[in-house]
Amino acid sequence: MSIGKLDRRTVLKLGAASALLPAMGKIALAQEHSGTIRIWTFLSAEGQSPREVVLRDLIETFVAANPGVSVEVESQPFQELETKFVAASAQNRAPDIIWMRDTFLDLVNQRGALADLNDELSASFQSDVIPDLYPVFAEKSVIDGVRTSLPLWPSPAQVLFYREDALAEVGLDAPPLTWDEFIPVAGRLTSGDRLGLGLPTNDNSVSAFINIMTGFGPGIFDAETGQFDVTGPEAVETANVVRQLVSVGALSPTLLNAMGDDIQDQFAAGRFAIVQAFAPRFAQYKSIAAAYDPDDLAVSAWPAFGDRPPAVLLGPYWTVGVSAKSENKAAATAFVEALYTPEASMQWAQTAGLVPDRRSVQSDPFFSTPEAESIAVFNALLDAPGALTFPPKLPDITRVFPIMNTALQELIGTDEDVSAILERAKATLGW
Amino acid sequence: MTTAVEISVDSSRALDSVARKTRIVGSALVGPALILVVAINVLPAFYGFYLSLRQVFFFGDEGYVGLQNYVALFRDPFAWQAMGRSLIFTFGSLVIAVPLALVSAMGIRRLGKWGSILLTVLLVPWAMSPIVVALLWKWILVPSPGGLVGAVFAAFGMPPQDLLTDPILAMPTLILIAVWRNFAFAAIILTGGLGQIPRDLYKAAAMDGLGAWEAFRKITLPLLASSLLIVISMLTISYFNEVQTIIGLTGGGPIRQTTTLGYLLYHTGFVELDQGRGNAIAIVMFMINMLLIALYIKILGKQPGAAA
Repeated sequence: MSIGKLDRRTVLKLGAASALLPAMGKIALAQEHSGTIRIWTFLSAEGQSPREVVLRDLIETFVAANPGVSVEVESQPFQELETKFVAASAQNRAPDIIWMRDTFLDLVNQRGALADLNDELSASFQSDVIPDLYPVFAEKSVIDGVRTSLPLWPSPAQVLFYREDALAEVGLDAPPLTWDEFIPVAGRLTSGDRLGLGLPTNDNSVSAFINIMTGFGPGIFDAETGQFDVTGPEAVETANVVRQLVSVGALSPTLLNAMGDDIQDQFAAGRFAIVQAFAPRFAQYKSIAAAYDPDDLAVSAWPAFGDRPPAVLLGPYWTVGVSAKSENKAAATAFVEALYTPEASMQWAQTAGLVPDRRSVQSDPFFSTPEAESIAVFNALLDAPGALTFPPKLPDITRVFPIMNTALQELIGTDEDVSAILERAKATLGW
Repeated sequence: MTTAVEISVDSSRALDSVARKTRIVGSALVGPALILVVAINVLPAFYGFYLSLRQVFFFGDEGYVGLQNYVALFRDPFAWQAMGRSLIFTFGSLVIAVPLALVSAMGIRRLGKWGSILLTVLLVPWAMSPIVVALLWKWILVPSPGGLVGAVFAAFGMPPQDLLTDPILAMPTLILIAVWRNFAFAAIILTGGLGQIPRDLYKAAAMDGLGAWEAFRKITLPLLASSLLIVISMLTISYFNEVQTIIGLTGGGPIRQTTTLGYLLYHTGFVELDQGRGNAIAIVMFMINMLLIALYIKILGKQPGAAA
C-alpha cells in the first residue's frame, strides 16, 4: 500500500477513529478539571479539629489529582451559611459549593440557588455511590424530583453524651431510656458543682423541647403540614418532663442562655453528667475533655415516653450542594463526589470518629476495633426503631427553634402554668 | 479711557469668576465624599424603608404590603417590651457612663502625664471587638467551674451566681459591661472639653468665694455643654443600637429579658429572616434615635457653652 493511495478498510478505520476523537476528547476533558472552586462551610481550612484536618486532606488529594483546580475554603459562621448563600446567589456571588443544614434545604431550593445534582453527578456516582449512602438521608435531599444536595456525615444529630464515670456513681452503665426512670437518675447525678443534665436553651439551630417530644415517635409531626401540636397532650407531657427535671435538680435555671457551644465547653469543664450534643462532635468532645477521662465519654439515645422505643431525631444534619449559578459546576461536582469516595469515608471515620457516608466501607476491619466503638453505637442509633427525621418541609423553620427555646426557658426559669407557656408559643408561631 | 463704572463691572465679573471657580473646586473636593455618603448611607436607608413596605422573607420579595409590617410591629407586645428594655438599657448605661466619664476626665486632667497613661489603659475595652468583649465576660461570669467571678464568690464562701442567666440581674449586668466598654471613649471627649475652659474663670470664681461644687455647677457644667451634648448623643446612639454584646452574652435571654429593639431587629432580620419586618424595626429605631438627639439638642443647646 502506497502512502498516497489508501484502501477501503483503512479509510473506514480512519473514519471511525475520527468520529471517536471528539468523544475521546470530551472524556479527557471531563476528567481534567480546571479553575477555582469556592466552598462555603463552617469548617476552616486552617483549623485543627478532626473534621477540619480531614477536609484539608481531602482537598489536597483532590488538587493533586486535578492539578488545574484550586480549592478555596471560605469559612462562615454555621448559622449564617444558608442565608448568606441565598443572598450571594441573588447577587451572582455564590460559592460553587455550599455546606448547609437539611432543615433549610426546602427554603434554599425554593430560591433556585441549588443545582439539580441529577444533571451534574456522574453516571457511575448515581448508580454506585448514591445507593451506598444511608437512604433516610439520601432520599430527604430529593425535593419534588430535584436532587438538591448530598447528605454528609450520617449521624443521629442531637443525641445525649454522658460520662460513664458519673453514671457509675449512681450504679448505672448508661442513662435509662424512659423518662419515668431517667428523671430521678438525672436528679441523683446532680452533685456539688455538677448538674445532672445540660440542655442548650438558647440555640437557634436546635430545640431540646422538640428532642424530648420525639419520645412520642414520628407521629408528633403532622404528615401534611409538618407542624407539631404545640399545645397538644404530647407537648404538655414534654413540658411536665422539663418541670420535673428542674424539680429534682437535674436542670438548672443557670442554663437559660446556654448555646450548644456553651454546653460543650462546660461539659468539658465538668459541669454536667449528661448533655444534649451534636453527634459529629464526639471526637471533639473527647479531645477537649478536661474534667474527666475521654474514654468515659459515651453516647445514648433520648429516653422515650411509655413503652415506645428510645428516640433518635436524625437532624438537623449537614448536607452539601452545588450552586445553580456556579460557572464551574463540573469541577465543583467532581469535588463533591470526592467527599464520598470509600477513602474519604474511611478518613472521616478514622480521624473524626464519624459514621462513614459509604455504608459498604463498614466491612473494613477498622470498624471492629475498640477505636470504632462509638461509630458502632452511632450506627445502632441510626438503625434504631425510634429514629426519625424532621419533615421535609418543616414550616417556619427560622422561627420554630427560637420560639420553642423561649418556651423551654420559661418552663425552666418560671413557675408559670405550663398551658399558658405553650399557648403563648403557639400564638407566637401563628400555628 | 476706562471709566469707573467699567472698572467696577470688570471687577465684579472677575470676582464672580473667582467665586464660580471656588465653588467648582469646593464641589470637586466635597463631591466624592458626598457621593460616598449618599451611596453607603442615604440610598441604603431609602432602600430599607422601601423594603419595610414589602413582604420580604429569606431574600424573596413577596410583594407590597403597605404599612402591614409596622402595624404588626406595633401590635406585637414583645416589640413594646423590647422598646422598653432598649430605653432601660440606654438610659441605665448613660446614667452610669456619663458621670463616670466626667469624673474620670476631671481626674485624668489632675493626674497630668499619669492621667494620659491611665486613659490609654481604660480605652482598651473600647478598642476591643464587642464580640470579643462578650466572650471575655461570658467566661468571667460563668458560674462554675472555671469562672473568675464564681471563684471570687467561692473564696468568700458564697454560692456561684450566674448573673447572665438570672432574669432580674441579666440586664443590670449587661449595662455594667456596656459602661465598662464605652465610658473611656466619653472621657476622652470630656477631657478635651475641660481643656478648653479658661483657668482664669476658676481663679475669678475662687476670688469671688465660690466653692468647688459651685464652680463645677456654674462654670464647668455650662461650658462643657457642647462636649456633653456630643458625648450623650454618641453614647445614646451607641447604647440604643447595641446588639453585638447582647448576641454574645445573652442572646436576648433569659426569657427575652435582654431582648432590646436592636436585638429584636437582628433576630427578626437575620435569624427569622423576615427582612421586611426587620427593616420596619430599623426605621422605627432610626426615628427614635433622631427624636432623642433632637431632645438633647433642645435641652443642652440652650446652655451657654453649647455653641462653643
